Amino acid sequence: MTSNFRCGLISAAMLLIHANAAEAHIVAARLGDFYTGALHPLTDVQDIVLWIAMGVLAGSLGSTKGRWLILVFPLGLLAGSALGHRFGVASTGLADAAMMLALGLMLAAAARIPTSLLCPLAFGLAVIRGAANGVDLGPETDRLLFATGLVCMGYVVMTLTMALTLAFRSTAPDGSASWRTIAIRALGGWIAAIGLMMAGLVLAS
Amino acid sequence: MCPRIVRSLPAAIVAFVLAQPAFAHEQAGVAGGLVSGLLHPATGIDHLIAMVAVGIWGAQLGAPAIWVLPITFPLVMAVGGVLGIMRVPLPMPEVAIALSALILGVAVASRLRLPFAAAAAIVAVFAIFHGHAHGAELPGSANPLAYGVGFVTATGLLHLCGIAIGTLTRWPAGERIIQGLGAGIAGLGCYFLAQGLGAIA
Repeated sequence: MTSNFRCGLISAAMLLIHANAAEAHIVAARLGDFYTGALHPLTDVQDIVLWIAMGVLAGSLGSTKGRWLILVFPLGLLAGSALGHRFGVASTGLADAAMMLALGLMLAAAARIPTSLLCPLAFGLAVIRGAANGVDLGPETDRLLFATGLVCMGYVVMTLTMALTLAFRSTAPDGSASWRTIAIRALGGWIAAIGLMMAGLVLAS
Repeated sequence: MCPRIVRSLPAAIVAFVLAQPAFAHEQAGVAGGLVSGLLHPATGIDHLIAMVAVGIWGAQLGAPAIWVLPITFPLVMAVGGVLGIMRVPLPMPEVAIALSALILGVAVASRLRLPFAAAAAIVAVFAIFHGHAHGAELPGSANPLAYGVGFVTATGLLHLCGIAIGTLTRWPAGERIIQGLGAGIAGLGCYFLAQGLGAIA
């Protein structure tokens, strides 16, 4: 056995002895609460339906009006997360149903609501959903990381939904976007119907 | 037959006879979730044919009915659903649902062209009765949102099915197929009406 080979063998053995477990994800580095905050709204149908409804409504109004929500919606989530932690939240079932109904009706009617109404509406929705997301956190959760994840996800979902809606409305090869507008309005009718059903079930229970 | 197959046949038969359903999800059988809402409108044949007939009739009537129906019908049906959930009684709901299949089937078969307002009013009245029946049958343990999402999506998809079938009207042969389909729906409506009135068991 040559000295070089012996030396290499010893070095390899030392490396193997001192080997640590490899962490493929940075969850173990205490960034897990960021991902918890980001993924938490995606596990709740209420958040998914309401966020998408708001994004589609903003997108259907055009980029000039809708772009404000890229800032307003995440800020509302941040405020709601803080408020939910501080004051707690009662059941949001009826409020969620009412918002679904209102957003769905506006979409179905193709209402041209002004920015001055759209922004407070989005902010109010974000505050309620942010509070609902942030209220059940355990004491071991890093609230700042959770809120950051929630805000980032709000930004991503709102931006993507608006962008997809805008692209869907405007990419007709022949220039006519009639059936696409009808599809968006039909989606609004479905969202309003879901809200109405949910309101009835919540009231009955 | 090969003796080996003959020997293993009884074991195979016993295995098939003793087979039980496999549940991939632990919440299988729980009423009131998304799947329950999705399946509910599709499990009653009287509801199903009426929903499809509405779509076909909308396609026959053309604009604006073809696009107003998918927007407004689920909403009007949800109003009926809320009435059903709240236990608000409606007169003879089963007869009204059977009548909806009969009348919508006749409308499709005869290519009935009513003014849009009249057609919308007929469909809206029937939508309330259908929604009421679904709401009244709703399990108490239902998850409100999941059930609502499933129910409305299934209803909307049934209409879209009807509208897709209705596009056959562009071809003469397709038009005849649709009229035959309408006659079949009307026939089924007659059967359900007789059942609702107690004429047959």
